[in-house]
Parts: sequence; structure tokens; C-alpha cells
Amino acid sequence: MNAYRKAALKRVAQAAEEAERSSGWYNCWILFRREIKRFMIILGQSVLSPVVTTTLYFLVFGYSLGSQLREMGGLSYMDFLAPGLVMMAVINNSFINSSFSFYLTKVHGSVVDILVAPLSNLQIMAAYAAASLVRGLLTGGIIWLIAALFGAQTLYDPGLAIGVMVLVSLAFSLFGLATAVVSKEFEHVNFIPSFVILPFTFLGGVFYSVKLLPEPWAEVALYNPFLYMVNGIRYGMTGASDVSLASSLLVSGAFFLIAFATAWALLASGKNLRD
Amino acid sequence: MVSLMECDSVLRFEGVSKSYGSLAALSEVDLSVEPGEILALLGPNGAGKTTLIGCASGLIQDFRGRISVGGYDVRRRPRITRRLIGLVSQELNFDGFFNARQALFYQSGYYGVRPDRQRIEQMLRDFSLYEKADTNTRQLSGGMKRRLMICKALMHDPAVLFLDEPTAGVDVELREELWRYVLKLREQGVTIVLTTHYLEEAEQLADRVAVIHRGRILRVQPRERLLADLGRSWAKVSFSRPVPVEEFQNAGAHRIQTLEPSVLRFEMDGVDEEGHGSGSLLSTVVRRCGDLGVSVLEVETGRSSLEEVFRELIRETEPGKEKVEA
Repeated sequence: MNAYRKAALKRVAQAAEEAERSSGWYNCWILFRREIKRFMIILGQSVLSPVVTTTLYFLVFGYSLGSQLREMGGLSYMDFLAPGLVMMAVINNSFINSSFSFYLTKVHGSVVDILVAPLSNLQIMAAYAAASLVRGLLTGGIIWLIAALFGAQTLYDPGLAIGVMVLVSLAFSLFGLATAVVSKEFEHVNFIPSFVILPFTFLGGVFYSVKLLPEPWAEVALYNPFLYMVNGIRYGMTGASDVSLASSLLVSGAFFLIAFATAWALLASGKNLRD
Repeated sequence: MVSLMECDSVLRFEGVSKSYGSLAALSEVDLSVEPGEILALLGPNGAGKTTLIGCASGLIQDFRGRISVGGYDVRRRPRITRRLIGLVSQELNFDGFFNARQALFYQSGYYGVRPDRQRIEQMLRDFSLYEKADTNTRQLSGGMKRRLMICKALMHDPAVLFLDEPTAGVDVELREELWRYVLKLREQGVTIVLTTHYLEEAEQLADRVAVIHRGRILRVQPRERLLADLGRSWAKVSFSRPVPVEEFQNAGAHRIQTLEPSVLRFEMDGVDEEGHGSGSLLSTVVRRCGDLGVSVLEVETGRSSLEEVFRELIRETEPGKEKVEA
């Protein structure tokens, strides 16, 4: 027994020393890599499928119907449509990546592996948000490229456009994570893309300028936060927008902060997760 | 932090309580686990075993009291205590996107240990998973999922390993294989806390046994000591003719049962693992038989198993269930 005791004390000391040296960010990096690998395994479903769907939007709305419109918001309809479709893809993919991935770990039971590992809530959030950002930017970037192939002129301020994409993508990644934490059934996770993201992006000026809406709907549209996100990227890509750039950045930033705080609070509470 | 060399325990629970609404899952639990020991945590379903493990491993954070691992508080220094612990949870789990090899790769990384391909291959071989290393973990059988969970818990070389019902639903061969591996781990310095429904498992492996019931620790003792304190020897004696129980009431037996008119079963308190203590009972019985002019035809002796001791302890705490004594 003494030999076991000695070996045990040595093992504890060694492991504790290693743990003292570690900040936990390497652990976070591995979780991030796991998340990237996960969506790469299902690339057809995670990236290819939304790209094909959005290309169809370009064909139907941009090419067929768009050719009948002279302009929208001071732009050719293809130029007007491209930023909205890019933003829609970024929002959808960022949300779906983190929400479905985290929710499935709950269903499979493997969430325990993450919850008992030396990863802080912030590190868990960082890994999921960063991986969802990669998927969101990858999908959005491909759609941007396709828009260019369709002839859209969308390089007004690429840095600003990418900045808005990053901000919105991170916000929806964290919103997705928070949704997955509270979800008890698959329908709960599915509710947000179907009944929140899709209608609000459609009504947020992806396909039309809200200036075309009659009152009071033009006024009501200004209360839709998705409008500011869509117009933020539209300004970066084309220089045109229905709302000011400052309000776009403010709403997107506020949404990010709310999503961050919600995800952090829910992970910290452990509700539907740890108990 | 208390210096590890100064303390006797590698894992310590001090006044730990946890409630779910009005249900007290744990009530003022005090328990110390010594370095290098195998502690079996025994208790019926809902006794609080998994909750206790959950509190120590970081899965459950909202509890009262204090838990330390290696001298570090689990709530103040979770990065260190979690690195020290390996957990094999009771519920089978899997990662439906990855195969067994990939699952081990990521698992070690979650603990800050750089994934070592050679070690992964070795673990797959040690747990007979090598042939299925490229199979999606969703498609593994229950026994294989259990093996993979054990591999995952060991990937970061934990100092304390929690095995929560590790052999539930696995075949006998794997169970024995796992027992051998547990003993090997202890030799390597891993302190092991084992919860199990198979009392044979605790009897085979445990240095000490903690009995938990309704969130309270009823008793913590070395296995042999527990058997000595609460175990009983028994002797089944066949006589040449029927003998009334009353004739042996002063024989020193704790309980006498009539199995058949001429066959009695005697029980006696306080025996050790070898059954010492039963001799005086038998000599009294034989002497009394001489007085009565009855011959003893056959004697069969034995001792309480851990299972019987465990049941007796639990029965003692059940309200309205008194011990029946002769």
C-alpha cells in the first residue's frame, strides 16, 4: 500500500504541476479544431448545400426577376441582392453550426467530456464561436465570389464588409450556443432558424429596400435588428444603405454583446446542462 | 492550498450537501480518499453516488460544503482539479461525428495534453478497440462504447479516476479484463473511486468501502474490517432427529433459523474474512447435542458476503424495518 501511496502522490504532484503551467487555451484550440473537423466531415451539408440554395436565389431573383427591375436603392438589382444573400448565409451558418453541434453533444451525452475538462466557460464559447465564424465566413465568402461571377459590383469597402460579417457571425454563433444550452428538444433548436432568422432576414431588406415600404411598415421595419446587419454589409460591399453605417455597427455590436452575455450566463448557470 | 504531502487524502469531501428542490441528494457528506487506494462507493439507486462524483468532477457546481482534489479546492482551482480527475460516467455516451481514434485524439487535447498517436494506438489495443478504431463511435456496441469511455478518461493520465458503474451492461469477460486493468492503474499511482451495483466487484477490488444511502455516508471502512464488524459466520447443521430451536438459544448465535425440522442455520456476529469466531459456536452446538443425545450428521459453514453486509446496513436505515433476531 505504501508503494501505491508514493506512486499516487507523485502522480498528483506531476499532474498538478502540468495543470499550473496550462492556461487552458491549448484545450480551447483543440475544441476549436474538433469543431472545424466536424463541419468539414459534413461539408456537403454544412457548406455546399447553403451555397447551392443561395446560388438559386441569384438565378431566380437576380437574373430572372432582377432583369425586370431597373434599380433598387440606387443599385442594380444584382448589386443590391448580393450583400443581403451573403449576410443571410453568414447568419444562418453561424447560428446553425454552434447550436446544432452543441445540442448534439447534449443528445449524444458527450457534452460531459467538455464540461468536466479544464475549459472555462469563456474558452468553450471562444472555441464554438471561432469555429462557427470560420463556417460563416467560408459560406459567405463563397457566395460573395459567386455574386462576383454573376457580375455583381461589391468591392466598395471589403475591409468594412468583412468586419461586419465577423461581428454578426460571432453574435449569431453565441446566440446559437445559448439556444443549444437551453434547448431540451431538437424542435427548440430548429425554431430559431425557421421562425426567427428566416422571416426577419427576409423582412430585413435582403430582397428590397425598406424605403419602398408604405407607412407604417417602413417605420416598423426600423425595429428589425436584421435590417441593420444586412445594410451594414451592403454599405461595405456597395456603398449604399437604407440606414446609417453608425446605426448598423451599433445594433450589430449590441446584438453581439447581448448574445455574449446570454451565452456566458447560461453556461455559468448550468441550467439544462450540468444538473 | 494544503501541501499534498501534509494531507492524508487525495480527495476530500467536507460537509457536502446538494439538493434538487426539496430532495436532498447529498446531506453533509464527509469523506476522504487516500492516495493510491481503491474506494468502492456502494449504495442503492438514487443514494447519491453519481451526484457525489458529479460535484467532485466539476459537472455539478451548485453544492454546499467543500471538495478538494490533491489539496486544491474544486471551485476555486477548477483548471487544476479537473486536470487531476478522469471521469467515466454512468450513462453511455459517444461523439456521433468521429471514430474511436479521433475521439481519443480530441479528448486528450481538452485536458491540455498534446495528442500522442502512439499512446492512442496503445490504448486502442489495451482495450480491444483497435479493430474498430475507424468505426464511427455511434456504431460501436454498448460494451465498446464503455471501453472507449474508459480510454477517454485515461488519455490525460489522471491522478484520480472516477468509475461510475463502469461494468454496467458489459459481459463477464470485459468485466474481468477491466478489473485487471483497474488493479494495474492503481500500481501506476491512480487513486480510484468506484461505484458499482456488483458487490462482487467491490469485494474483488476495493481497499475500502463507503456505504451511502439517501445522500448520507453510513459507514466507511476497509473491506475486511467492514466484514469483520458487520459480517456473520453461519453454520447449517443437520441433526439425526428434529431439535427445537430453544435448545440452542444460549449457544451464542445471533439468529437461529429452522430450515427443516432437523436442519438448523446458526448465525454469529463478528467474523473476519477467514471465518474466525465460528469455532466457539460450533463447539457449543456439539456440546449441547451431546447433552440432548442427538447426533450431528452434517455441518456446512460459511460467512456473510459483502452483499449481505450491505443489505443489512441499508435495511437498518430503512424506517419501520427492524432487525429480526432469534
